[in-house]
Amino acid sequence: MSAPSSTAYRPTTSTTDGGHQTPRRLSPEASRMPGALGTLLAQLRAELLSSARVPEYVVGVVAVPIILFTMFGLPNAGQQLPGGTDVGAMMFASMSAYGVVSLAIFTFGVGVAEERGKGWLRRMRATPMPFWAYFVAKVVGSLAFCALILLGTWAVATFGGKVPFDGTRLVQTVLLLLAGTVAFSTMGFSLAYWFRPKAASAIGNLVFLPLSFLSGFFFPLDQLPEVLANVAPYLPTYHFGQLVWSAIAPASDVVAFGAHPEGSPWVHVAWVLASFVGFGLLARAGYRRELSRAAQ
Amino acid sequence: MTTGTDGRGTPPPSVEDMITTHLPAMAATSGSASGSATAPAVIRASGLTKRYGELLAVDALDLVIGPGDIVAILGPNGAGKSTTIEMLLGLRTPTSGEVRVFGDAPNAKAARARVGAMLQESNAPESLTVAEAVDLVRHYYPFALGLDDILARADLLEKRGSRIGQLSGGQQQRLNFALAIAGDPDLLFLDEPTAALDVEARHLFWEQVRGLAAHGKTILFSTHNLAEADALADRVILINHGRVIADGTPAQIKATVAARTVRLVTDVSATDMATFPGVRAVEVAPGESAAASHPTLLVQTSAPEDLLARLFSGGHLVTQLTVTDTDLETAFIHLVGTATGSATGASGTAPGATPDTNPDTNSNHVTEPTA
Repeated sequence: MSAPSSTAYRPTTSTTDGGHQTPRRLSPEASRMPGALGTLLAQLRAELLSSARVPEYVVGVVAVPIILFTMFGLPNAGQQLPGGTDVGAMMFASMSAYGVVSLAIFTFGVGVAEERGKGWLRRMRATPMPFWAYFVAKVVGSLAFCALILLGTWAVATFGGKVPFDGTRLVQTVLLLLAGTVAFSTMGFSLAYWFRPKAASAIGNLVFLPLSFLSGFFFPLDQLPEVLANVAPYLPTYHFGQLVWSAIAPASDVVAFGAHPEGSPWVHVAWVLASFVGFGLLARAGYRRELSRAAQ
Repeated sequence: MTTGTDGRGTPPPSVEDMITTHLPAMAATSGSASGSATAPAVIRASGLTKRYGELLAVDALDLVIGPGDIVAILGPNGAGKSTTIEMLLGLRTPTSGEVRVFGDAPNAKAARARVGAMLQESNAPESLTVAEAVDLVRHYYPFALGLDDILARADLLEKRGSRIGQLSGGQQQRLNFALAIAGDPDLLFLDEPTAALDVEARHLFWEQVRGLAAHGKTILFSTHNLAEADALADRVILINHGRVIADGTPAQIKATVAARTVRLVTDVSATDMATFPGVRAVEVAPGESAAASHPTLLVQTSAPEDLLARLFSGGHLVTQLTVTDTDLETAFIHLVGTATGSATGASGTAPGATPDTNPDTNSNHVTEPTA
């Protein structure tokens, strides 16, 4: 029989060795590993562990939104908007949306850029690890940290500010915020792959604050100078904010909060999706550029 | 002082010819079945070329490495060793030529599942511990060694809980080794693996590599430490300026160049000595001044008996005489220096300077002559 033997190592391209395959020479101590899912779980575990141990990350990304809510949201808790929504709930949505954007920029942008700079990503390329596992683990890991931000902010609002939440709206808001983490991951990946590793960190820090201000996360857009407020509709993060506020409160309260909910929600969804896809393509192009450059 | 400037005398013109005439035969006999075109090869590279602008880093390299071979790639800095390894790993795209690893493209998943690599720079995330990083990389492979087993082989059991950011250079290096062997590779690339290791750590390191070789693993390593290549490899490929200068067993390479080193103090000048029949090279011993009246000379010759007979019959002064087998390091200097003409410039740092700057390896060679 000249048919290829059913070893685990099917050649993916035709062999030029006339079908000769050198047999696998496993050490007696070697054992079979669990496969792709095992790779993903190990990658996720490493992702969570390594992030959780970096104080700059835990404080700067996870704690800051909670601290900001404590400083600026709690004092406003208890005030009711005309439709009955607590201002504290609106601020919960604002600070969480801010948290999602900073998470995306720092986890996917700055963090990936650092690993790229240290040669670790290149090292991984010499292994059979499928590279999607790396990105998926990053995204899933950041979802966990996002959940931590949301839980922390919610706890401060609920127990510190006695903010009443509408259960259904809260669940919708939380799901939206988690989806936003995935949606803005590509923005971060683009940053990581299109700038030099050190520049990516500086640009991340430079970009995320103005982005948050212009999107109305820190104070309502109608309090911004008109020139700046006019920029907002061109930022995907602004549209994300609109979606988040619409999820936590009825339209009349969103207006009262000063977040002008213009346009159909589908326009906002389209902006966020376009950002996800557009930056995704950009990130992919950057990743490929990196691959071909590294191979030079 | 460097050996290239003074005391070497006239480089024997015959050596390059000798290499080209002797080495085809050597290549064919070295490394079990790897010479045969039909035998399964672990690595098969043909016409492998890498050009960086004007610089030809690797120049039409042909390479066949068979299962179980332990191959050392030797060459001065900038010779193209790392570029070659990275092309064999599929991390760099050749300008032209082809590489097959286990019959596949080197970046094919099937090939990568059987390959481990210890690269010069590959820093794992600093906030992970040693054990966590190794366990992570284990899970990249379809088969892997046990975590404790890997840590033991890399001498990292005591450091298993340490954060990677806190490791010393040598420990980093051992971690790189641990990551390289995690997937129990059939083919192991080691790029300058012992650069940051002390003597004892080197010893342990090579012991582990030998252990892997005993299971029939194929090992390809690059090193500056010629004692290691001599002791470890069953095949040595000497490259310079991206070209193979010599390819054979350490013994064959030694037989190709001067077989013996005569060390002596004499009243014959280095320049005159170089004109004696059978003398391949003369240099002033490291640490001695060429301007001294009778400096200690190191004479490479195929026929030390004839040389000494001539010295004695000529009534010349001969004191402090030793005759030793030529170690690989000397053979290396000889080959690289001759084949490149003036061995200065890009390669000026490595071969000539090594005997002066690394007395440790030098003395190893003198005290441990190998067959």
